[in-house]
Amino acid sequence: MLQFSFLEQIALAIFLLSGISFFLYHLLLRLKIILKGKSNFSIDELPKRLKRVFDEVILHKKVASGGRKSAGILHAFVMYGFIFFGLITINHFGMAFGLPIFNDTIRYYYFLFIGGPWAILCSLGILGLAYRRFVLKPKALGKFSSTSALVSVFIVTLMTTYFIDELHILSGASEKFNWWLHSGVIGGFLFLIPQSKHMHLVLSPFNIFLRPFQVPSHGAIPIDMEASEEELDNLLLDLSRLSKDQALDIFTCVECGRCTDVCPANRGGGILDPKYHFILDLKNPMLESGDANVVDKINVEAGWECTTCQACTEVCPVGNHVEKADEIRSFQVLAEGDVPQEYQKLLRNLQETGNTEGSSSSELLNELPVYSADKELVLWLGCFAKHAMDPNFVGSVRNFVKILDSAGVTYGVLSNEQCSGDPANKLGDKLTYQLLMDQNVEELNKVKNVTTMCPHCVVNLQKEYKKYHEIKYEVKHHTQVISELLEEGRIDINPGSLEKVTYHDPCNLSRTLDEVSAPRNAIKAAAPEFFELEESGKETLCCGAGGALWWKKDSGEGRTHLLRAEQVIESQTDTVVTGCNFCYGMMNQGIGPLTPAGQEEIKVKDVADIVADNLNN
Amino acid sequence: MKIAVLTKAIPSYESSIRVDSSGKWIDETVVNYVVNESDAYALEEALQIKESASGDSEVVVVTLGSEANTSKVIKDGLAKGADRGIFIKNESTTTDPLAISKLFADNLKSENFDLIFSGLQSDDMGSGQTGVLVGEMLDMSTATLAIETKVDGDKIKVKRELESGWFQWVTLPFPSSISIQSGINEPRYPSLKGIMGAKRKELNVLESSPESQTQSFVNLFVPTNEKVTEKIVGDTESIVAKIMDILKNKLKVI
Repeated sequence: MLQFSFLEQIALAIFLLSGISFFLYHLLLRLKIILKGKSNFSIDELPKRLKRVFDEVILHKKVASGGRKSAGILHAFVMYGFIFFGLITINHFGMAFGLPIFNDTIRYYYFLFIGGPWAILCSLGILGLAYRRFVLKPKALGKFSSTSALVSVFIVTLMTTYFIDELHILSGASEKFNWWLHSGVIGGFLFLIPQSKHMHLVLSPFNIFLRPFQVPSHGAIPIDMEASEEELDNLLLDLSRLSKDQALDIFTCVECGRCTDVCPANRGGGILDPKYHFILDLKNPMLESGDANVVDKINVEAGWECTTCQACTEVCPVGNHVEKADEIRSFQVLAEGDVPQEYQKLLRNLQETGNTEGSSSSELLNELPVYSADKELVLWLGCFAKHAMDPNFVGSVRNFVKILDSAGVTYGVLSNEQCSGDPANKLGDKLTYQLLMDQNVEELNKVKNVTTMCPHCVVNLQKEYKKYHEIKYEVKHHTQVISELLEEGRIDINPGSLEKVTYHDPCNLSRTLDEVSAPRNAIKAAAPEFFELEESGKETLCCGAGGALWWKKDSGEGRTHLLRAEQVIESQTDTVVTGCNFCYGMMNQGIGPLTPAGQEEIKVKDVADIVADNLNN
Repeated sequence: MKIAVLTKAIPSYESSIRVDSSGKWIDETVVNYVVNESDAYALEEALQIKESASGDSEVVVVTLGSEANTSKVIKDGLAKGADRGIFIKNESTTTDPLAISKLFADNLKSENFDLIFSGLQSDDMGSGQTGVLVGEMLDMSTATLAIETKVDGDKIKVKRELESGWFQWVTLPFPSSISIQSGINEPRYPSLKGIMGAKRKELNVLESSPESQTQSFVNLFVPTNEKVTEKIVGDTESIVAKIMDILKNKLKVI
């Protein structure tokens, strides 16, 4: 056993204390900035949060998701290596002060069954990851990272010195040197971690635990038109401030670039790079100012490109709510009054007529029965259907009505239905949003059950309004209503759509409302040849219309609005079904021009269409 | 520098227009009044000049019309950044540019504006005369169809849009009245601070009524759409003969 002189002990103590102080200084510095963020962390639903930590940290469910199985497993080897080395490290330093925690027998068996195997796996893990980063060079990882190279060298050194020590390969001075080398590397980590992306090692379990359940999780921005000047100034100040959770996200980011990899705007050739624009661009301004008021550092142009599809948030392995289009847009609209011209027209339409199109009447609304208290359901149309933004979709509404009639469900429309406000909300015009929301809530709180074919409307009526008002009604997406009617046996479907059928998951339905099964239940009942698209369920690719981008006139160079339609064509399906009117419109617009000559055009249907086509009565 | 922006409330494009019971005017109760499009560009141009000018400058948004129709117009102008408003209350439905310009000129004379901007024309009546007439009545230099402006001391250089892709630069001495073409700039959106601050800004309400009118409506009607389809059948000879007959005698185009 190695013996340490008093001088060595002093040197070691100084080295360790300076490393720990440095580490704590940087950790506290960041914590101080995080606490300057607005709104508080929530720790409600504790069991759900713990389960999430178990799934995403212990089981690596997100780290190893999608096409990253092998990288995820390699990462798990490294992480578990670190965890099992905890006791070894304590023993290592304890020994220098004559206070080992292992006796020789325990130490031997720990090495044999835990330390040794995990040291090998951990080395394999880090070498594999280094090979991936420095040889395979996936685009998402970005430029050469010197800290990653250093970490690879550190870990391999750590494991090698561990083996040399345990197998007693060296003796005397060289054995001592080996011990100090091992100690040096551990100390090195204390200096390396807090200033680099490796901080995720400390913060990500907390970040995953504290992550808000709502996706997206932007806070309400209530505007009081009677507010005093001081109150208004405070509100405007708040617009430039991240929430505590968002601030923690910035320091937790591991820079893996998965958010950028899945971003439809980025994939479509836009400038938006969520890893930088929504996260890393804000890190230095926060550290420099010591504050969380950095919303104005977000690239404005990039912010307008976002479809708010939440793919970036869904994919993040360290629990970040990545998307910050809401923050930068609210700041631009409310504080700066800087709104792209095409959106000004849209917002004026909403203010003046209560609908996105500026229409004064709706044929479809006049054609359908009006809601009265004796009816079961309010059929909420939404602007898209109400003003025939895709004239074919009016047929889908009639098909849904046919299903309700067939099941004997009574329903009616509200003649004073206003736009849910989704485009205003997503564009950051919270004032126009509130105007529409207040009118809608007053009407809707008089009823019980609401259904709509527009997931954007569901998100607002059901989830977003709750941030501002007490909601007394319940909203279901029409695919949920259809699926329930099927389960209850109130409608009967003949599996008669015999061609190849696939389903495009709308972002608002899958990622925001967490509904992927209801539409599938309904489609599968009608179409036995159902198959999944490559990116499906909560990993769906946005059609390009989200975040009010449907109204973006100048699509420029970007192909965001065509990507998904291209994927659908490549899938060689005969029919694509969707559950959102905007997706329906985008598919119809994209598929026609993109279909190669000589190939038959893929049919676009709503879930209501394919069900109504195959109704058994 | 003191800049006035003449702004008009017009029925929105999406409003359903119908003739009222007198048969001489539209039913205003079912119409949604909004800011005339080119006036929004005129306001933005004035605000940009004010923001880049050295020394004290003031932008005053001016509107004329009935209280019910114009309230939004002034509020919008103040919210976007105009310093104060002048509302020339006129409950008559006159559309006579000469009478209207006289009301503007009489009420604005004492203000001694350096610049008066107006939209190129109103999207409802489309006379395109008010800006020039007001300028003449107030003894100002005038220009129309501005697509670019540059203030240079006590002069303003204006790029005018002529026909078939031609442009003209003219230099006008202050005071000057200029009508602004749509698309000259990118109008801003009222910020929250602007909207809330608008309530505290000064608004002068001036009562007025036109002394005389040189024109008035005799009859107002909505054009009727007629779809008449005639199917021509027969052999080629007789079809050609029939088409020739229609072109020559019925439509008289050849």
